[in-house]
This record gives sequence, C-alpha cells and structure tokens, in this order.
Amino acid sequence: MAHATSPAAFGRPRRVIPGLGLSFTITTGTLAVLVLLPLAAMVAMSLSKGVPAFVAALADRRVLAAFRVTIVSALAAAIISAIFGLLLAWVLTRYRFPGRRFIDAAVDLPFALPTAVAGIALTALYAPNGWIGALLVPLGISVAFTPLGIGVALVFVGLPFVVRAVQPILEDLPADEEEAARLLGATRMQIFLRVIMPACAPALVTGFTMAFARGLGEYGSVIFIAGNKPMLSEIVPLLIVIQLDQYNYTGAAAIGTAMLLVSFAMLMVINRLQAWAAAR
Amino acid sequence: MSNTAAIEIRGISKRFGNHVALDNVHLDIRPGELVALLGPSGSGKTSLLRIIAGLEAPDSGQIMFGMEDASRRHAGEREVGFVFQHYALFRHMTVFENVAFGLRVVPRARRLPRTAIADRVTKLLELVQLGWLADRYPSQLSGGQRQRVALARALAIEPKVLLLDEPFAALDAKVRKELRRWLRALHEEVKLTSVFVTHDQDEALELADRVVVMSAGKVEQIGAPGDVYTAPASAFVHEFLGDTNRLACHIAAGRVLLADGGVLGRVEAPDGEAIAYVRPHELDILPAKDGSAFIRHASTFGPLVRLVVGFGTANLDVAMPVERWVRLGIAVGDRLNLAARYGAVFSDPAAPAAQLLPEVPGTMFAASICQQGGTQRN
Repeated sequence: MAHATSPAAFGRPRRVIPGLGLSFTITTGTLAVLVLLPLAAMVAMSLSKGVPAFVAALADRRVLAAFRVTIVSALAAAIISAIFGLLLAWVLTRYRFPGRRFIDAAVDLPFALPTAVAGIALTALYAPNGWIGALLVPLGISVAFTPLGIGVALVFVGLPFVVRAVQPILEDLPADEEEAARLLGATRMQIFLRVIMPACAPALVTGFTMAFARGLGEYGSVIFIAGNKPMLSEIVPLLIVIQLDQYNYTGAAAIGTAMLLVSFAMLMVINRLQAWAAAR
Repeated sequence: MSNTAAIEIRGISKRFGNHVALDNVHLDIRPGELVALLGPSGSGKTSLLRIIAGLEAPDSGQIMFGMEDASRRHAGEREVGFVFQHYALFRHMTVFENVAFGLRVVPRARRLPRTAIADRVTKLLELVQLGWLADRYPSQLSGGQRQRVALARALAIEPKVLLLDEPFAALDAKVRKELRRWLRALHEEVKLTSVFVTHDQDEALELADRVVVMSAGKVEQIGAPGDVYTAPASAFVHEFLGDTNRLACHIAAGRVLLADGGVLGRVEAPDGEAIAYVRPHELDILPAKDGSAFIRHASTFGPLVRLVVGFGTANLDVAMPVERWVRLGIAVGDRLNLAARYGAVFSDPAAPAAQLLPEVPGTMFAASICQQGGTQRN
C-alpha cells in the first residue's frame, strides 16, 4: 500500500492544517497595506531632499534633546509601570475584596479613554493649584509642566499593558508550587523571587515592552501635562506635529524615520533579552 | 502514649463553610512507621495531611510532633517533607535545582557550603535512581520520574516526617505498582515516619504498616492491614476494603434470613434487621437445573474467574480459581445455587460485624433478594 497512488501523491504535499496559502496572503497583504506601506512612504519622504537634508533635520540640538526626553521618560515610566503593574495584578489575582471587580475593570480605562482627556485630567490634578499638585508644592516638587509630568502620563497609559500581560500568568500559577516552596523552608521573599518571579518574568517583560513602546509614541496625554518647554520637556511626537504645522513635511518625516529606527532597535534588543531569558 | 508517638493528633476538627472536613480526629503515629490514610474522596484524609503539614490550620485541636506543639510553628518550620499529588515541581528549575531548593533557601548562617549541597543532591538523586536526569526540566520527565524527583526534593531537607498526598494517583497502573514496591523498599531503608493519603485500598493494604480508614471526617478504624480487612470495625470499612456483596437480611433466633425467607446462614447476634456482606470469593456456586440463580457473565482474569450471578433482581459477584471453574464445566446462562462459606453480619452498621457461618456446611440459600442493588464494588 505504500506505493499506492493516492491523489495526494501527485499534488502538493498535504498539510494537516489547511489554508496556509490563503491565510498567508491575507495576513501579509494586510500587513503590507496597513503597516509597511505607510512606513515605507514615510522613509521615502524623509529622504526626498537627500541624505544631507535628512541629517540636518535631525542634528538639531532641540531634536536630540527631545529624543533624550522621550526615551528616558518612556523607559522610566515602563519600569515604574512594570513594578506597580505586577503589584496590581498580584492584588487582583491573589486577594478577594469588595470592589475587586470594579478595580479590575478600571485597569482597562486608560485603553479606552481618549488620551487627551487623560492628559487634561492629570494636568488638573498635578498643576500647582490642583489637588495633588498643591500638596507637592510645599515639598518643592513640581510635576505638571516638567519631565516628571511626562513620566506620570506615561505610567497612566502604560500600566494596563503590564497588568493585562501578567494577570493571566499569575492566575494560572499553581498554588502547590508555592506551598511546596513554603514547606521546604523558603521565606515569602524567597518564594516570590525564586518561584513566582521566574514564572511571570516573560509576561512581565512583554508588558514592560508594550508599555515602553506605547510610551515612545504617546502624544495626547503628554502634551497637556508636559508644558512642552524646548530642550526640557518636549517630546519627539510633538516635534513632528510642530514640523507639520510649519508645512515642513520632509523634516517631520525625517524625525519620524529616526523615531522608527530607534524604537525598532530598542524593541529588538528587548526581544533578544526575552528570548535569551526564556532559553535559560 | 505521647512520649512514644512521632505525631500525635489530638481532637482535630476542621470545617469549610458548612462542610465538616474533620470531626474530632485522634491519631497517634509511631516513629518510623508508614501509615496510610484511606478513604473515599471527601472523607477528610487530605485535609488531615495538610493540617499535619501546616498548610491548613485546624479549627480546634492540636498536632504534637514528639513533645512539641506543632500548631505554633509555620509550615516551613515543621521539618516535614511533603510530596504533592501533582508533584508541584518548580517547572523553571532543573531536577538538580528542584532537589537543591530546600537546601539553598536556608539562612546563610546555617546553609551548607555549595559543594556539600551538590553532594547531598547527587546522593539523593542516586537514591531515587535519577542521577542521569539531573539537568533535565520537569516537563521532560515521565510521571514516575517526576514523582521520584518530588520525593528526593522532600527528603533533601532531612524531614522528621514524610507526608505524601495520593502519591501514585496520577500514574498508570504498571508504574504505580512498581513505584509502590520501590517506595516500600525505600521506607525500609530510611525508616522515616511517613503518612500517605490514598483512596486505593490495595495501595493502603500493600504498603502501610497501619491503615487509618476515614469516612466523612471521622476515623472509622485504625489497624494493621490484615486486621482492618478481616475484622472491620464498621460496615463502611468492610465495604470500602475490597469487593463485596451486600445483602439486606434479618436475624431470627440465630439464623440469617433474606427478605423472602431464604436462609443465608447462622450468626450469633440479637434478632432484628441487619446487613450481611459476603465477599466474591466467599460465595460458592453449585450447578443445579432448578437453581435459583444463573450466570450472567464470566470473565477470566489471571488466576481467578469472576462471575456476575443473577439472583432475583440483584447481581452478585462471585470469584473462584480457574481450575475450579474448569472442573465445574458450566457456562453463561446455566442455573445454579449459591452458598455462603463465610461472611460478615452488621446488626449495627457502626459496630463490628458478627461472623456469618453456613447453617450446615454446604447449605444453599435459594431465595430471591429484594434489596436495592446487591453488588457493591470499589
């Protein structure tokens, strides 16, 4: 029977899961039209006046400062989001308390809220005459209209990414592994560091990456609270909008392309780190 | 007795909501013995094990480890080794790291040096015959191997007591039997006071020095495997330990009568309603053309032939050696009479049984049974 001429023997090799060709075409087509093509157009536009113009558009002190502010604040906010997001996910999965479902639902609000609304709300709270801002003034801390404000806004939008990435992992973490660790004499801290953290680290890195990526590109919530002082609290996305306002499309595209490259490089590095950690 | 018991369980009660998991349980576990907590699911055996380990707090009662009240100690300070039903190995650690875990988390002042830890882990892995798997991850092991890693990990901290929760339940039949023998041999070697939970009577009877039969949060009987089997303290214990046939009957003037007047045998017990149990191998069959029973089904399995005999509305299990079955020369559908060679009669289900004896050796009981389902199997 091994040599029998079944219909499949003549045609293409049969796969158990059908439809590779069709689904591959649809997905790559969609990706190309919606993601790759616009990005390619942007890169092309940025180089339309030649490489020197591209370099000149970027080699501006104000632009470089904006890059520094954006990357540093996105990184810091992602780290803070990772810490507090993990805590929040922990509380939501491990404890049963009144209002838990409400808080669980509220975590998603930053996803749904127009970010400009969040920015205005945060500015109102943290401005020197706001509820929280007024409390911080005597301590000499000003949040609104400083880089600190950018961080606050980015934590606001980044937190749900971490919570939603880590929560399912914590929910699935079997209680008996923790019990086993406890019976073997581990302290709570040791259980957390040696049993729980290794299990949820990949998800935590994923959440961190998403929060960071979102922070790099965030615009709406930041511009209201940041004050947008050049060299100090001006972010890259805002610079792009400013360039567009001045009809300098090439300059905007150049900054956008640089932003794309930086983001892509950093996400690659994080991905690599994650793969390395997972392989261990 | 408290100075001889390794673990003394004093009046432990525990409820979960409205469910009473444990109801005033007393139990002494002697140093170096292997005790089985045997019972159906929901009998409280796992709760008791978890309370001994300190994973669960009792509502009332005390657990004494030697002369010391363990209730004051956290689970991590009780020096118990615990093997979980699903092993609970740390999935992101190698076999070696799993076994070393209990040694690595010791505060630095008391921790063994790195090389001593490695030595101990290597020895333990040799003890459980898994030295060659030290660098594997739990997901790469078979169930039996995981179980042995879990055991090595529990033994690494040199516990005073080893607790095992359904240690063989998740394994297939052949591995289970091997591992059971192996664990018994290991116990002979290390002589560690051990308690294991099981719902499998074969496992309990084969492995344990003493068996604690539990039901509905209470201890029904404590005894050596032979004793609980041959002299059950209650109808529950008899029924739970091995296959048996249950017959509703009443006792009149020392005779055990079935519902329609057939005589099952003699017994020394007061008159009244009772339940008689006859195990499959205690029933004899005698072929007879006008017999009151007939063979519904026969299966040969190893040295025994197992019959399902239709008797009135009930089905009874009968077991006999293959040779005897061959000599009788009968087949499915043939009629026959039944006789009980031996049995247990419970006038009170909560008290020990009276012995059922044949009225005259070889007497038939030829009456139908109007009892709800004559067969009880476990």
